[in-house]
Amino acid sequence: MSPVESGGDGGKWLDAHYDPVAGLYTFSSCVDLADLSGDGESRLVVGDLGSGSSGMKLKVYRGTALMSESTLLDLPAGLVAFFMDLHEPRIPAVAVASGPCIYVYKNLRPYFKFTLPSLEVNTLEQDVWQQVREGQIDPLTMKEMLESIRKKADVPLSVRSLRFLSLETEDMDEFVQLHKQQPIRRQTVITCIGTLKKSTADEDGVSCLVIGTESSDVYVLDPEAFIILSKMSLPAAPTMMDVTGQFDVEFRITVACRNGNIYILRRESDKPKYCIELPSHPVGLVRVGKNVVVGCTNESLQGFTQKGKKLWKAVLAAPITTMASMDLPTRGFQAVMVGLANCEVQLYRDKNLLSRIKTPDVVTSICFGRYGREDGTLIMTTKGGGLMVKILKRTAAFDDRDSAPGPPLAQSVRLNVPKKTKLYVDQTLRERENGLAMHRAFQMDLSRLRLAAAKAYVKALESSLTPMSSSLTEPLKMNAVVQGLGPSFKLTLNVQNTAACRPVMNLAISFLYDESLYRMRNPYMRIPLLVPGLIYPVETFVECTSDKGISDIIKVFVLHEGRSSPLLTAHINMPVSEGLTLN
Amino acid sequence: MGLFDKLAGWLGLKKEVNVLCLGLDNSGKTTIINHLKPTNAQAQDIVPTIGFSIEKFKTSSLSFTVFDMSGQGRYRNLWEHYYKEGQAIIFVIDSADKLRMVVAKEELDTLLNHPDIKHRRIPILFFANKMDVRDALSSVKVSQLLCLENIKDKPWHICATDALKGEGLQEGVDWLQDQIKTMRT
Ligand SMILES: Nc1nc2c(ncn2[C@@H]2O[C@H](COP(=O)(O)OP(=O)(O)OP(=O)(O)O)[C@@H](O)[C@H]2O)c(=O)[nH]1
Ligand SMILES: [Mg+2]
Repeated sequence: MSPVESGGDGGKWLDAHYDPVAGLYTFSSCVDLADLSGDGESRLVVGDLGSGSSGMKLKVYRGTALMSESTLLDLPAGLVAFFMDLHEPRIPAVAVASGPCIYVYKNLRPYFKFTLPSLEVNTLEQDVWQQVREGQIDPLTMKEMLESIRKKADVPLSVRSLRFLSLETEDMDEFVQLHKQQPIRRQTVITCIGTLKKSTADEDGVSCLVIGTESSDVYVLDPEAFIILSKMSLPAAPTMMDVTGQFDVEFRITVACRNGNIYILRRESDKPKYCIELPSHPVGLVRVGKNVVVGCTNESLQGFTQKGKKLWKAVLAAPITTMASMDLPTRGFQAVMVGLANCEVQLYRDKNLLSRIKTPDVVTSICFGRYGREDGTLIMTTKGGGLMVKILKRTAAFDDRDSAPGPPLAQSVRLNVPKKTKLYVDQTLRERENGLAMHRAFQMDLSRLRLAAAKAYVKALESSLTPMSSSLTEPLKMNAVVQGLGPSFKLTLNVQNTAACRPVMNLAISFLYDESLYRMRNPYMRIPLLVPGLIYPVETFVECTSDKGISDIIKVFVLHEGRSSPLLTAHINMPVSEGLTLN
Repeated sequence: MGLFDKLAGWLGLKKEVNVLCLGLDNSGKTTIINHLKPTNAQAQDIVPTIGFSIEKFKTSSLSFTVFDMSGQGRYRNLWEHYYKEGQAIIFVIDSADKLRMVVAKEELDTLLNHPDIKHRRIPILFFANKMDVRDALSSVKVSQLLCLENIKDKPWHICATDALKGEGLQEGVDWLQDQIKTMRT
């Protein structure tokens, strides 16, 4: 028995169906799942864009079979299934947005067509057409006039005028004859569609349609009367949206716009409440709980809070082709599915990649939900028109591979801190009561310490008791090393000229010591010329003549010929001679 | 037949057999069992089973106690708790649900690999149900999709059935009765 496992998805999915030549060309916005017959079995509803400008169809699948298809008049921009009334049995309607219209299907039959209100028409443009109708101008003059209007007008030209401007001279007459009698209309088109529950959050509650238009508006439509309940405007044309909440209570519409920004609309205002500026254009928008996950053209996935605060960013391996949410309420599981151009679908929970599915072709649409009788069904269509259905295994579990961000686990382990002692409490009390006095005493001692340090320093400087010469003409540094156990010691003095470039000459070293204790081979030495920077070791031997086991200080002076005061002084604490007893 | 069985047969006492009825939700398990029950005990309308229910029916020589399990995803983890008690398995498949054939196969494979089932020669009767539906798969196709030919260490049998009319059920139950009898001697 070989369990049906598809390659490279960790055995989490069952391959229920794959038809590489289903002839389905669509995007995630045009796919939905709904129980269209009220028999507890969900159907797949697809707005098929066909190939080129023909073959646009509304297709319904049941299981592995195409159940019905009907021709669409225009390219679908979006498709949603929604409950438009309270009639029993509870069967949802299907709304297909194409061009300026929404076609509503009930029981898979055309039921209603809603057309967006037309936009204001340029009065100058109207005058021009008026004149051509009355024969006052010929098409060529009209072309010139329309061109000039197009360049400077704030109200754009109608589609009819734009079409006219694109014509060759010989076709103009015919076009004008055909159209001049009809009034000019300017229509916008729908770019995206969503649903918003009217007043209850119930699964089968009545929903309003929410539509975004090319004219940068967002409309909320009443599901029964199809009147505009609310109109909101955006700074740019919307391309994708996510809607949550209830129209009568509180709602939030997250819209990705063509200017590369994401705007968040709320119930109270007809202008965006928050704005998210993205580093590159959004290509996918999915809400997970209260957060928004956006896929960008720069091959990244970014998470934001509902107020637009950035939470995380994940870098992807390839450009995003489509995105969808994976919501499995029965298992309390939510994630984002990302279709990539490298024939992979990746599953993310926050910025963690949970699992990946290899696909035989690039996926252009993803839809996850209840299909047939199976809650965890993943439906994908491919660039080549294929249809793929996978079912999540009952036993599949996803675990975050990346460790959860945040403090390490050890931080939350409680330490066994001992109780405060009586002494501690008394001290704290004392400190609290006498804080001022203690601080003063401390400041006073600190000042005294500084004074003592300064005095000692001055004294050292005055008597040149430092191993550093601060004289400007002969800046010198010296350190001394005593080697040996005794009674003979080797004394090495490392002298260095710290000047930048000037050599020092005519120096000598002399020692001062207790002659009853020590004997020195040459207590007076001349130092050669000191080249700046180099360390000159000057060596001599000291013999300890006492056998009492005592030691003394030997003072070293670096002298300049012809000057009485030393350039620098060093005190060498001689070690106790240990070798004497052996002698 | 052993002496006791013969004796029991003469006395009208029948051997008790525990049977597990498994399969995905909506496959027709409850409908099938309802059909096998005596006419006066049959239920009129059948609703999706919650959890499981215990039903009894008799054949010429055996008395069956059937655990009619719910096939809904959230109840399928109950199945394994009854594997130990089961002496035979009836596995029902909705032949018209092509999409979920993989799910049925997955559940069957899990069942066959369960420690309480794996090493037992427990007979399995497959009902390829809903054969009356227009484009239902044939029982041959169903057994192909479920890879039944791979079951080597257990007796199994598949019949195409229509639980609404009761067609094909008797054949299957007769096979099961024979299997149980041969197991005992
Ligand atoms: N056409 C047809 N329908 C059937 C057949 N058998 C059962 N049904 C129908 O399938 C539906 C489900 O039947 P049930 O017996 O409740 O299925 P089940 O396997 O017990 O389902 P759960 O209890 O949820 O696991 C019912 O509406 C039955 O009428 C059949 O052979 N043909
Ligand atoms: Mg049942």
